[in-house]
Amino acid sequence: MERQEILDQVLNMVAMAYKKDVADLSESTSFKTDLGGASVQMVALVSEIENELDVALMLADASGCETIADLIDLIEEEM
Amino acid sequence: MSVIDKIFEKAKKDPQRVAFPEALNEKMMQAAYEAGTEGYIIPILVGDAEEIKAAIKERGYKEEAFKIVDVNDEDYKAVLVEKYTSLPDTRLKEKALRRRMEDKLQFAMVMQAADEADVTFAGIDYTTGDVLLAGQMIIGIKPGLATISSIGLCDIPGYEGSEGSLLAIGDSAVCTNPNPEQLASIAISACDTVKSLLDWEPRCACVSYSTLGSGQGELIDKVTEAVKIANELRPDLAIDGEFQLDAAINPAVAQKKVNRESKVAGKANVVIWPDLNVGNVAVKLIQQFGKADAYGPMLQGFNKVVCDCSRSAPVSEIKGNIVISAVRAAGEKRK
Repeated sequence: MERQEILDQVLNMVAMAYKKDVADLSESTSFKTDLGGASVQMVALVSEIENELDVALMLADASGCETIADLIDLIEEEM
Repeated sequence: MSVIDKIFEKAKKDPQRVAFPEALNEKMMQAAYEAGTEGYIIPILVGDAEEIKAAIKERGYKEEAFKIVDVNDEDYKAVLVEKYTSLPDTRLKEKALRRRMEDKLQFAMVMQAADEADVTFAGIDYTTGDVLLAGQMIIGIKPGLATISSIGLCDIPGYEGSEGSLLAIGDSAVCTNPNPEQLASIAISACDTVKSLLDWEPRCACVSYSTLGSGQGELIDKVTEAVKIANELRPDLAIDGEFQLDAAINPAVAQKKVNRESKVAGKANVVIWPDLNVGNVAVKLIQQFGKADAYGPMLQGFNKVVCDCSRSAPVSEIKGNIVISAVRAAGEKRK
């Protein structure tokens, strides 16, 4: 799967998990400063990624991602 | 009778099913065996059935003391997957779930979520981090809470508080630097934990270096904001602050410093620290200077009771923690 394709899907998943407008999100969106989510949202996001992209992610690794770009890197490594 | 003896007595009256994904570990198996044969719990060993049976035989235990669940039993796995994926609010679908169930800890937690066990007990081979993360993925965080956390129960010789020598404190182990929402979650969970474990009517104080505005600054604002959030989320609970520790637990000091009605001031039985720096130092002070026994940390905030134990814990301590978690699970069912 191309990076852009993964990005499009992940942006939608982030928008859903964090209840944000997908138009406000990009690769440079920071989980901590822009989204400010708690671990509940990250659990929802990781579950969705595992379901839809068919990869296994460690919650700890995903939680360690600073930005959405970092998360895409992580997914690509696991694919 | 000490508090731990009372908890053991309580466990016997309503033994709960405890799943052990680290069944092969020698200390864990011994603790499970003793807790089971003494009537405190119904131990379920989760793993490769052949390996477990061989270990039971080698160690001289009676196999009938345990229920053994074979993680290689595809029929049972299918039943669990079906039950788990039909639960409301579960997020993982079959394929992702099966992949996670390759791990025994997560297999046991799926059993618990599917009501095939009441508690998952681990942490001797798995790290605390493993248990916390698997708990969040499989068991989930209680609706409305922003974080999982922990409390400890201190039995402090010579302390005459509103529950005698006992005081519950949190979070001294899990949540490093909680924001106001997270601090509110810790307070709410702590109240629920002491209710289910000890049948206390919780009176929870969020402490700081200021009492009701006697000081000012962002460290205090965090605590007052947390109290406000907690009261909005759970008006049924007595959560109050910000108080200094003495105003929280000492009626004479509370009378001087707290100039308004409070169900909590001076008689708090649960104390919530503003962050882990305070929490960790405080529990060490209570242990070192107060010569207290501190039980825990008891994990809280999950949809069902998840328990972790120290990797260096002796069998007696593991057994105590198993029984505590079983009593909490029985208490949560009664709610």
